[in-house]
Amino acid sequence: MTAASSVAPNRTRSRLAAIREAAPHPTRWRHVVGYMVTVYRREWQGSVFSGFIEPLVVLAGLGIGLGVLVGDKAAEITGGVSYVAYIAPALMVSSAMNLATSEAAWPILARVAWVRIYHAMVATPLNAADVMVGAITFIVGKVAFAAAFFAGVLLVTGIATSPTGALGMIAVSVLTAFAFGAPMAAFSVTQKSDQGFAFLFRLIITPLGFFSGTYFPIENLPFAAQVLSWFTPLAHGVALSRSMALGTPVTYVWFHVGALLLWGIVGTVVAIYLFRKRMLK
Amino acid sequence: MGMTNSASEPTALIRAQGLTKVFGARSAVDGIDFEVRDGEFFGFLGPNGAGKTTTMRMIAGVSPRSAGTLEIFDMDPDLHGSEIRGQIGVVHQQETLDMELTVLENLLVFGRFFGMDRASIATRAAELLELFQLSDRAKDQVEPLSGGMKRRLSIARSLIASPRILMLDEPTTGLDPQARHLLWDALQRLKRGGTTIVLTTHYMDEAEQLCDRLVVMDQAKIVAEGSPRQLIVEHASREVLELRFPNGTESIDTKVLEGIGDRYERLAERVIVGCENGEAAHARALEHGLDPESWLVRRSSLEDVFLRLTGRTLDE
Ligand SMILES: Nc1ncnc2c1ncn2[C@@H]1O[C@H](COP(=O)(O)OP(=O)(O)O)[C@@H](O)[C@H]1O
Ligand SMILES: [Mg+2]
Repeated sequence: MTAASSVAPNRTRSRLAAIREAAPHPTRWRHVVGYMVTVYRREWQGSVFSGFIEPLVVLAGLGIGLGVLVGDKAAEITGGVSYVAYIAPALMVSSAMNLATSEAAWPILARVAWVRIYHAMVATPLNAADVMVGAITFIVGKVAFAAAFFAGVLLVTGIATSPTGALGMIAVSVLTAFAFGAPMAAFSVTQKSDQGFAFLFRLIITPLGFFSGTYFPIENLPFAAQVLSWFTPLAHGVALSRSMALGTPVTYVWFHVGALLLWGIVGTVVAIYLFRKRMLK
Repeated sequence: MGMTNSASEPTALIRAQGLTKVFGARSAVDGIDFEVRDGEFFGFLGPNGAGKTTTMRMIAGVSPRSAGTLEIFDMDPDLHGSEIRGQIGVVHQQETLDMELTVLENLLVFGRFFGMDRASIATRAAELLELFQLSDRAKDQVEPLSGGMKRRLSIARSLIASPRILMLDEPTTGLDPQARHLLWDALQRLKRGGTTIVLTTHYMDEAEQLCDRLVVMDQAKIVAEGSPRQLIVEHASREVLELRFPNGTESIDTKVLEGIGDRYERLAERVIVGCENGEAAHARALEHGLDPESWLVRRSSLEDVFLRLTGRTLDE
């Protein structure tokens, strides 16, 4: 450029170049998304059940079954709406969590350790950061599709009545997918086998689905468990999603949104760091 | 890029000086110097663990060096890795294909990583499938292909963006002889087309057949450098007499061995004698009272160069 840059010491300039080498490129990550879309087009049948159908089966089973059990008490818990309408927005985000974490588990580990295509990818103009950003973006995008499908079913069946509310729920699912997908990716890139996943899903992901306000208000939990819940992303997603669906005001919206974003952003940065460490020895 | 050279010196695409890679307390690559010139077929020959893969990874910009200088196309891979990688095709020692995708999809997806547009990728992919005799498998999934086909696809994939340098890490390890020769032919065609090729191998016949110039690596260092012919002339004698002793060679008198040829190496069950004339050396061995179970005379090879320089065989 001008005098300023030519005066800049060589060391500063190479440090900048080194940072640019390591940082995600503004657009290259989209080729990683493109690659994953190609993969997904080939094997979409496999994930249609877990991503799209299973959440509806759970909603039908629990919404109707538990709804009958809860009966007249439902109104006490739900503040007036049917039990199905109460749990539907929460189930939507908990399935966003399930889909995002499993998509960030095996498919990523496989590409690091088994089929090893990530090793080929970082030997192209893509760098490790581009690969991670692309992988996480694809996961979030896939969850957006599944959430849109779920929201569509809720609207058609009349469980949800407001299209704006449905759009809001989809947005919350996307945020939740980011909040879970990115940290899960960070975990996956450090693994040598999938044994760690069984542990993580049984001890953390599955229990979270029960204790984050999905089926009953979080206020029914002991205080310590409530506090703990707010340290995980799902409770924030559930709180936001439900308020979107039912049109009830939610206090501290930005606290919830901020928590989800923080999980996603920190997760992405850590994932990039650990992935680089694994790939660039 | 931007470099001008005198007409007699071809441009060096890769230049390494004192190149070093340390893992913990161990050096995987220990201060090596080499140069790869435009259009040549360059080899790293050495046994397992010599540091070949580590060197390749540093060149490909996926392994930051610990010390020394390294320039590829006159650029430092630490600072311009992405730009360098855009002009290098890399074939890894272990397969890195997407097994779920088809042969063609593997190529199409990869072209995008290099920022190519879809039309040029499609044209180039068709050419490469033809060149590597994979056209009739284009629509098949990769998983069930034979090892030789997978390896050819890996090479085709690495060439999608028409790189200036093709880097192959032990490309024929694990292939049967027929698949190996098919691959050698394809590589020689590529070289004739002007691609600079860098290859690592622990097969001396591969290095001898393919490389214009090579370095011999052992224990993180370069122990010799030159064309296969030069190396043999410099470091080995014209012929080699191999004497086999299934019961071991320890008991043989050193004085006797010294008298047979120009030099010798004593292995567990073989004595390798370097000499001008193998038949004459064999006669001398019998005169000295040696009684090998069998013997043979052959021309010296790179294997003998390696043995001479390190006292060990390549596959040890
Ligand atoms: N990531 C790593 N961490 C620690 N040691 C390594 C790593 N990669 C290679 N090495 C060591 O460096 C040496 C050279 O390895 P490598 O370059 O793979 O040799 P080659 O390809 O010639 O068989 C070996 O001793 C190997 O164990
Ligand atoms: Mg190797």
